[in-house]
Amino acid sequence: MENKFIVNIIHRPELSPEYAERALGKKDGVRDESLDIFRFQQDCAHKYGLKTTIQITYASLFSDVIIELAKEDHEKYGDEIGLSLLGLPCPEFREKYHTEDFCIWMFDEKRKEEIVDDVFGKFYERFGFYPESTSSYFLDAYTINYIKKNYPSVKCAVATCWEEGPKAYHTCNNSWYTFMDGGPWNPWIPSKVNSHCPAADAADDSGIVAIPHLSRDLMACFDGNGSNFGTHPQNVLRGMIYYGDSGEWEYPYLYNLIDQYRHLAKYNDGYSYNMMFVGPGWLNRRGRWEAPYELLAKSYDDGMKYYGKLKKEGKLSDMTMSEFADYYRESHKDYKRGECALWKDILYGSNKEYFWYADPAMRTCFDFNQGGALIDLRPYVARIPQKTGIGTENVYDASYPYLIQINYRAGYFTHYAGAGTVRSCKISCRGESADLCLCRTMAVYEKIDGGVRLTADPVTVTLGGLDIVIQSVYTIVEGEGDIITERRILNDIGDEKVTFYEYFTGAFGTTEYQADMTGVTLGVDDEDMKFAYLGRKIVKNDAKRAYVTIPDVLTEVEMGGDCDEAVAEEGIAFSPVYHIGVRKTISKGEVKTWLKLRKAN
Amino acid sequence: MAQATKGKLNFRCPSCFMRDIDIDMFFDEEKKEYYCLRCSFSGKEEDVLRLNDMARFRYRAMTKRVVDFGADNEPVRFEEHIGGEQ
Repeated sequence: MENKFIVNIIHRPELSPEYAERALGKKDGVRDESLDIFRFQQDCAHKYGLKTTIQITYASLFSDVIIELAKEDHEKYGDEIGLSLLGLPCPEFREKYHTEDFCIWMFDEKRKEEIVDDVFGKFYERFGFYPESTSSYFLDAYTINYIKKNYPSVKCAVATCWEEGPKAYHTCNNSWYTFMDGGPWNPWIPSKVNSHCPAADAADDSGIVAIPHLSRDLMACFDGNGSNFGTHPQNVLRGMIYYGDSGEWEYPYLYNLIDQYRHLAKYNDGYSYNMMFVGPGWLNRRGRWEAPYELLAKSYDDGMKYYGKLKKEGKLSDMTMSEFADYYRESHKDYKRGECALWKDILYGSNKEYFWYADPAMRTCFDFNQGGALIDLRPYVARIPQKTGIGTENVYDASYPYLIQINYRAGYFTHYAGAGTVRSCKISCRGESADLCLCRTMAVYEKIDGGVRLTADPVTVTLGGLDIVIQSVYTIVEGEGDIITERRILNDIGDEKVTFYEYFTGAFGTTEYQADMTGVTLGVDDEDMKFAYLGRKIVKNDAKRAYVTIPDVLTEVEMGGDCDEAVAEEGIAFSPVYHIGVRKTISKGEVKTWLKLRKAN
Repeated sequence: MAQATKGKLNFRCPSCFMRDIDIDMFFDEEKKEYYCLRCSFSGKEEDVLRLNDMARFRYRAMTKRVVDFGADNEPVRFEEHIGGEQ
């Protein structure tokens, strides 16, 4: 199959860019400057033969110049005219709504509807039609459902910033409240219940195709600030990932990042995707992030130039947002299909490799630098009906909860006490043991009937002087929330006994801090216990399953398979986690276990 | 002494940047130096630029261009980036 790499280039004329207005405190000339930035961005794209989607902001709807410019570019270049819910702040908005809030998902339900009706109504007045695309940093299910019901022409929306949550908050000196971790990194069809979750079927389909705000580095952004490592040239400058060479500034990382996204076609039936959406505040004439305007402008021009080069070489299709939605619908008929990304480090110069996976039942990440341990897990199968905004329990926190997140809640490494969240395996023999988290490897991806398989390169574990060569194979059953793990002993170890302890240490939450766990129930077969921070354990021989039910996130996790002994263990106050596992001892052959995520009623 | 200002560019504190915090520094006109409101860093513009450069130590592949992503279980192949090329 021929690969198809699609790019969405999006520009929004703001007229009151938040950065120019607030951070610099100079309001004179801001509107003219913002208009110039918009013109510059449009010119850059057109110069290199690329079409754009113009996301008209609230302030722009009051500007005849912008309206005419958008119409001209639509006629001349085929640019789409969409409507953004970003860029709400402007004198007209503040006067009408008497608020400094500007994030659509943070308003109460009534206000969300009022604003949507207001902006869509004004858009219709100015253009004579309703838009086919919209955008925000995040769009909650309530807002998407309302838009789709009342403005059915909308078929595409920018709906999340990948892994923008506590990390972005910390980076911004604990002042930037965009908590929206836990969504897909690439386009998806959002569920009607929770927009982070890909729709499970036609009944769950919200009717739009969601795209992420930027295509972000799936390794660097998991650990560091999301706004340093994305297909956004000024993000790359913010991350200081550029250098001077013979009087010119260079940033090959930007091109490497775009190329790695192109490479993901290998894991997604030939399809790959990129989006660039740079707000005008990033290109203001006063410079930003130690970078003068000339560098800001050059980097934007270079980003467009590279996309243009790929297009000329026949390696890129530029589409507007609505064109992309049509393409995506046509090429993604199977709701259960998993989005896959075997991602390699392109910045730190290591051999680290992750495998990201998302389908309607879960989002997860395997870290092959830690033997294939699960380092992030989000139970989409639970379809947690989170509401966001004023008047709900989540005024600003729109993140989808994790069960495992090794950076927020530790993974293998902890400080002398307690346990971190991770799903891995301990190998024991001759009175010694080792965790596969300490075995660095890489893996091969394979698409199989009904799922995907990752086969890790064999690793050697040395215990009591005995070398044991072990290969791990992970199979994900598409759309079911099941992961099957096989551990194979590849060398002859005679009659030596090797014990494999497959374990899952989890928690739940959206931030670095744990909520009360007393709602959790742990069990093995028919014996269970309510979580009480007492460090108790249930251990049973020849059990069928160990499980944990977490009502706070409507999820049940089960483990079973080849099993001499199953374990369920509660944590303590110092280490608020739960733990389940299955143990099996063999001398040769393999151990096969499964992990299942289920919705808990 | 008049209040501090932002300075000619939003120079961030290099010490905070190293711990993943973007915090703009303020400029003390009297001492002709930037200083951080959060940590105790202060320094001249040239100090800031030099320390920012030091912060790049972790980006070992920053000057390289990917030639080939290789087989799934092989490392990425890089070559030194040639200035002006893409």
